[in-house]
Amino acid sequence: MILRRIAAILFLPMMLAFGSGVYLYLGTMKSKVVKERAQLPTVTKPRFVLPGTMFVAQEGRLFKLKAGSFTEIGPPGDWSQPAMTPDHTKMIAVSRSGFYSDLYLLDLDGHIIKRLTKNDSKIIDGNHWIFYPKVSPDGATLTYSFDSPKYGYQVDMAVWSMPLNGTQAQARRRTTPNGHTGGDVGPIPLAGGGILFVRHSIEPSTAVTSQIFYQSRPFAIPTPLTSEADDCSQPALSPDGTQLAMICTGGKQTAKVEVAPFTGSALGPAKVLLSGALYAAPAWSPDGKALAYFAPAGAAGHFQLWYLALPDLAPSASASPSTSATASVGTTPSVRPSASPSPSPPAPFKSRRASISVRLQPRPGFRHHSVAS
Amino acid sequence: MVGQGLARRRRASRLHPARLAVLTVVCLLLSGMAGAAAYFFPVVVAGVGQTGQTVVVPPNNSAKVSPTPSAPPGSPFTVLLLGSDDDSKFQADHVLTQSMILVRVEPATKRVTMLSIPRDLWVPLSTGGSAKIDAAYSYGGAAAAIATVQRNFHVHIDEYAWIGLKGLIKLIDRLGGIDIFVTNPVLDDFYPNDLDVKNIYGYKRVAVLPGAQHLNGATALEYVRSRHNDINGDFGRSARQQQVLLAIKAKASTLTAADLPDIVDALKGEFKTSMGLDRVRSLLGVAAAFDLANVKQVVLYACPSGCYTSYGNGALYGGQSVVVPHWNQILPVVKASFP
Repeated sequence: MILRRIAAILFLPMMLAFGSGVYLYLGTMKSKVVKERAQLPTVTKPRFVLPGTMFVAQEGRLFKLKAGSFTEIGPPGDWSQPAMTPDHTKMIAVSRSGFYSDLYLLDLDGHIIKRLTKNDSKIIDGNHWIFYPKVSPDGATLTYSFDSPKYGYQVDMAVWSMPLNGTQAQARRRTTPNGHTGGDVGPIPLAGGGILFVRHSIEPSTAVTSQIFYQSRPFAIPTPLTSEADDCSQPALSPDGTQLAMICTGGKQTAKVEVAPFTGSALGPAKVLLSGALYAAPAWSPDGKALAYFAPAGAAGHFQLWYLALPDLAPSASASPSTSATASVGTTPSVRPSASPSPSPPAPFKSRRASISVRLQPRPGFRHHSVAS
Repeated sequence: MVGQGLARRRRASRLHPARLAVLTVVCLLLSGMAGAAAYFFPVVVAGVGQTGQTVVVPPNNSAKVSPTPSAPPGSPFTVLLLGSDDDSKFQADHVLTQSMILVRVEPATKRVTMLSIPRDLWVPLSTGGSAKIDAAYSYGGAAAAIATVQRNFHVHIDEYAWIGLKGLIKLIDRLGGIDIFVTNPVLDDFYPNDLDVKNIYGYKRVAVLPGAQHLNGATALEYVRSRHNDINGDFGRSARQQQVLLAIKAKASTLTAADLPDIVDALKGEFKTSMGLDRVRSLLGVAAAFDLANVKQVVLYACPSGCYTSYGNGALYGGQSVVVPHWNQILPVVKASFP
């Protein structure tokens, strides 16, 4: 009898523990999709060290990647799209506040030097969005996308320019976007006063497409550099101005990273460097020999920072689906082949994930932007 | 005798090792089942409360449409997806459907067809009279919405699923967000600011920038709900809704049974379906297996883009902004896609 009582006393906690264990075990069986959350870059360690400095934005916060570690910079707020000045001593960044956004000049530690624009208003539709800042090669002009003029429900961004050392009152519009398409974005000022930018349009088949255009001077009729069918956007000009990296989707929900020679007003044949994932925001290294970009990895799909060495951009294009979650990762800066999820021809371009778990999940609604200096 | 009886009782009361082992296994099984039951309890509750909703579709006169029982397991079936405003501007279950998408699933071939029905489509309602099709649910719930679509589009609907705006936000957040390539900037100065605010009739500005994005629930809702600055209006929004649906599918295909309590918790009170748990489970299986290349998307664009519909003269429709169906263009497409 006593034995039975002892057994019962022992069995009860055992059953309780086992039942709880099953409950907890089932909790651990959740898929990564549900469990994984984006991590701040500062709590992770990059997988290899890159020379120079890279600035990235995640969830409204600015980070500096230098000597193999991330540091958060800048005041609190909702920051995105950092863009370097040509002398690499300062940067422009977008600060978003509810119904409007503004441009700020920051030093490389993220301290505000100057507020460049003032786009807030007490009337809701009196507010303005401003995005995609870029400084001209001579450092004199700031070019950006700005949602003015507006007509009732019609809100489209046009490309505007203003003196970097001037005021917003001196800003002048350069383009007239297609109405009700979202407008013109991602301008890149060129040395001769021209710009590259992305224009959105609606095809007769109702598909929305983006094209990269060249415009020689304000309000000149822009020349398309890419076709509607290619659906290219997010241009990034190499430091020497001879190569243009871009993201092309062909109207699909997967993207390609392409690079094409640029003459100053025309594009040569493009080479596909990567395909088959949601690539975003390519940015050149200062020596023009590498690209940094974002792409999701793993089931959870958080965007991560990737580094793509470009040893030779001369002949023969080749596509390499190399940004899978299983891409090989090195511990040194040397380039190593990446694992490819499907058989593919030998790829001249190898992509590497730059950080082990740095999930550079951008603030939703913002283009993720990285800049090397 | 007394001594022998006591000895027998002692032997009987002693725990035999085999008996102890069996008892242990049974206890562990029971406690394990109790643990699992506790884990899946919310799913069971939701399964009873939110799935298997019965709707009585009123009989209609069309020979091609009949409220027959649901398709047997494994055979193709058609689901009417309904997305609604569910803020306090509306009484519960008397909401307008912001989104109506007919989805045909063919488990055998793993093909899926999605057809977005414009919310402003001017049609005869099953409840009587003519109005925008988004009012059907408001007048008669899911049954009226199903009957209206069946009668006008000459399709048979096997199941329906309804989700509220907040449910969509929570679902996407529980999935950890969705990955989407935003085709163009979605800017809206008059986006309804009606969720979790005091003044539900206010507006807010929205900007979803183009390019690859990892969207959380709130931003994904802005992306699929904004329409004021889209040159295609509600049609453009329909295309974005299908895009988000496919992105949700891509995420959902990696879910496991252990994720169900979280998902159910996210959809608490924000989701209703006629599908039973069996059909939901098989649907998840199909979602995991089918390829995006096998998804056919149909949007009933207005002239000059598609000519399935046209914008109606407001004066003829009580000053309302309506879309007039061109049934001679629509029905062949529907017949081909939803045989």
